[in-house]
Amino acid sequence: MILQLLINGLVSGALYSVMALGFALIYNTTKIFHIAHGAVYAVSSYAFFASLRLLGLPLALSLILGLLSGTLLGIIIEILVYRPLYQKKASSGVILVSSIGIYIFIINLIALIFGNEIKILAPGIQKTYKYGSIILTQIQIIEIIVFIAVLAIFIFMIRATKFGKLIRALSNNPTLLSTLGIEVLKLRIGIFALGSLLAGITSCLSSWDIGMDPYVGMPMLLLSAVAMIAGGIGIFEAPVLGAFLITITQSVAIWKISSKWQDTITFAILIIFLLVRPQGILGKRKRIEEL
Amino acid sequence: MEYIVHILIMICIYGILALSLNLLVGYSGLLSLSHAAFYAIGAYTTTLFMMNAEFNFFTALIYGIIVTAISAIFIAYPSLRLKGDYFILTSLGFQLIIFNILYNWVGLTKGPYGIPGIPKPRLFGIEFYSNYLYLLLSIFFFSMVFIFLRLLYNSPFGRALKALREDEIAAGALGKEVPKLKIWAFIIASAIAAIAGALYASYITYIDPTSFTLDESIFIVSILLIGGSGNIKGPLVGTVFMIILPELLRFIGLPNTIAPNVRQMIYGLLLIILMRYRPQGLAGEYRFE
Amino acid sequence: MTILELNNITKTFGGIRAVDSITIGFKKSKITGLIGPNGAGKTTLFNLINGFFKPDFGIIRYKNIRIDSKPPWKIAKLGIGRLFQDVRVFGKLTVLENVLLANINEMGESPFTLLLNLKEVKRQEKENIEKAKHWINFVGLSNKENSPAESLSFGQQKLLAIARLLAGNYEVLLLDEPTAGVNPALIKSILKIFLKMIEYGKTIIFIEHNMNVILEIADWVYFLDEGKVTAFGSPSDVLENPEVRKTYLGL
Repeated sequence: MILQLLINGLVSGALYSVMALGFALIYNTTKIFHIAHGAVYAVSSYAFFASLRLLGLPLALSLILGLLSGTLLGIIIEILVYRPLYQKKASSGVILVSSIGIYIFIINLIALIFGNEIKILAPGIQKTYKYGSIILTQIQIIEIIVFIAVLAIFIFMIRATKFGKLIRALSNNPTLLSTLGIEVLKLRIGIFALGSLLAGITSCLSSWDIGMDPYVGMPMLLLSAVAMIAGGIGIFEAPVLGAFLITITQSVAIWKISSKWQDTITFAILIIFLLVRPQGILGKRKRIEEL
Repeated sequence: MEYIVHILIMICIYGILALSLNLLVGYSGLLSLSHAAFYAIGAYTTTLFMMNAEFNFFTALIYGIIVTAISAIFIAYPSLRLKGDYFILTSLGFQLIIFNILYNWVGLTKGPYGIPGIPKPRLFGIEFYSNYLYLLLSIFFFSMVFIFLRLLYNSPFGRALKALREDEIAAGALGKEVPKLKIWAFIIASAIAAIAGALYASYITYIDPTSFTLDESIFIVSILLIGGSGNIKGPLVGTVFMIILPELLRFIGLPNTIAPNVRQMIYGLLLIILMRYRPQGLAGEYRFE
Repeated sequence: MTILELNNITKTFGGIRAVDSITIGFKKSKITGLIGPNGAGKTTLFNLINGFFKPDFGIIRYKNIRIDSKPPWKIAKLGIGRLFQDVRVFGKLTVLENVLLANINEMGESPFTLLLNLKEVKRQEKENIEKAKHWINFVGLSNKENSPAESLSFGQQKLLAIARLLAGNYEVLLLDEPTAGVNPALIKSILKIFLKMIEYGKTIIFIEHNMNVILEIADWVYFLDEGKVTAFGSPSDVLENPEVRKTYLGL
């Protein structure tokens, strides 16, 4: 029983860490606490759903449209809302509130168009595979494979490509980058595109598995934020560790207590880290003696 | 007419919530997303004392205020150590944890089933049963809160909070005891939110956790962001605007099924536009910059 | 008499010793100048005294009380005031409000005592406003009393910060480049104010890059370089020191 729960926790962790990677990518480079990422998440799923179930398009095409929609939305948000604020040198509070505004607007637009009920994407029951005493559904196996592939590509991209170098440079020293004439604005678009794509991947996989409603984005967003902080801000791959920490703790909690307290656990982890080890698991203790 | 009385009562309740959160957002510069949690703790504590311990409304209210103020310590302490985005996220976490507790601790709060049959307040044999009487009660509490907070806003305490908001370092160098000020702000803001909670509980005579979600916290913060904060006008303008707007939408014939969504979309849009062009909101003093 | 003592103070930031085993005793009712190249550790020293940083090593004593582990607001209440290099007035608040904030107002700043002593607080507020107006007038900003501080020029903001320090009734004043960015005529008035404060019994420690100011009002000077005191003495002595002339004055 506990083994099954742990495996489920690992699969969830794998799935959520993809989104967390995207959220952290955006925060580490632009310092934007991108709450609207939750809206991007929802839009991906709904575009996927609309293509598949409303327009009757084939699965692969629908999936691509879903991912594309999320990616485009992320880019539009950056260009229309964040960029003007960045150029005005607005405070992080202003940006955060704007992000909340975007989230509220888009989610309610979705609810307006599609309704509040849960939508199911996958027809019928999932195919399952048995390994000893463990049962895995088909989608869970896909999620594991996707996670491994995404993580590998992501690490390669961050550590071994020019794009990755620019991203790391932006994260460490944003002012230096702009003085060197590097097109920061273009870079930001690339970052939002990539981050939103990652959210879309998690979103489409998750909604295929358990369906969705307009409000699925927020819990995912919060989990991503906690995963980022627990893993360690500033280290691009760290949210993966944070995500696993959360989902495995939740699995243990389901085993020992009940499944009702998952949110509380996520936030208890957050608060413990913020107060005791704010640099996260992998982060280095920064003595930011700022004045 | 009954309808207008209902609107006015809600304006009183949300006015109390906005004026109290103003102490945190507008005066101390702490964007707290926990206010619905305090609202809830006040509502539930007062309700439980009235129904389980059979206290009358006014006595139960005092206990509600005390319990809520104590709970504020849990978010006040993190606020001393955490800055900016981290604090906001923590306040969000506090809100969600409280919601979880209210939802899951069925033995105490009846969880999602809610608590029906909440009695109306009774004073010198008069039961505040009719809505007109309840409106008088609400106006009474609102006025008390207004006078009290206005006194605080204009006092050396309020001024010290503003200094804190503008420049915590400089405020410290002038001898302002930053931790004490912040904790007081939280205690007072939460205690007053409890009053709104109690008023709400007895008015609707039924409470369940769905009235006190994160969305509710965001709504209360939006009142201050859209109306303005850091003075006394902003929260009042914000409250009237945010309460009247949905009624206006209903007036122009927007069907009830889509009205809540349209309303939220307008709020979202307003937040984006205001942050870009008018961060002090419609009538506020504190600009989010 | 030594009113402020730094004993073997060391502060390191990421491998760099910003302040390296500094020992200084500041004398009461004297004006002490701190000079040296940028990055020598002068502002860091102020931040350490004020309580914004904790020394990695060493003890700071003010009137024989250890203050190196106290928070800034406590140190301010004990009587050490600070003028920041970047002024730091409260931009959105009026000039009057800024100066009023200098008061250590125990009663009015705590909601509990405030409510129990409404009449008294109101009376104190009236008094404080009178006093604040006096200091605002003293620095020549009366016509700007109700203007937001951010609408003032840099020089005027400096005057406001000085008025704040005067109103705060501190015994020791840490002034970080008080004349920087201020026009020469104004500098003269500011220096007069400082000399007056010494008459009132205050102690002034100031960081300065303008050697004329040092020569004009400093009683004693310390030269800091790379976190260490490498020269000290009367202004003319220090400024004639060959090392100082070479590394700092470029002569």
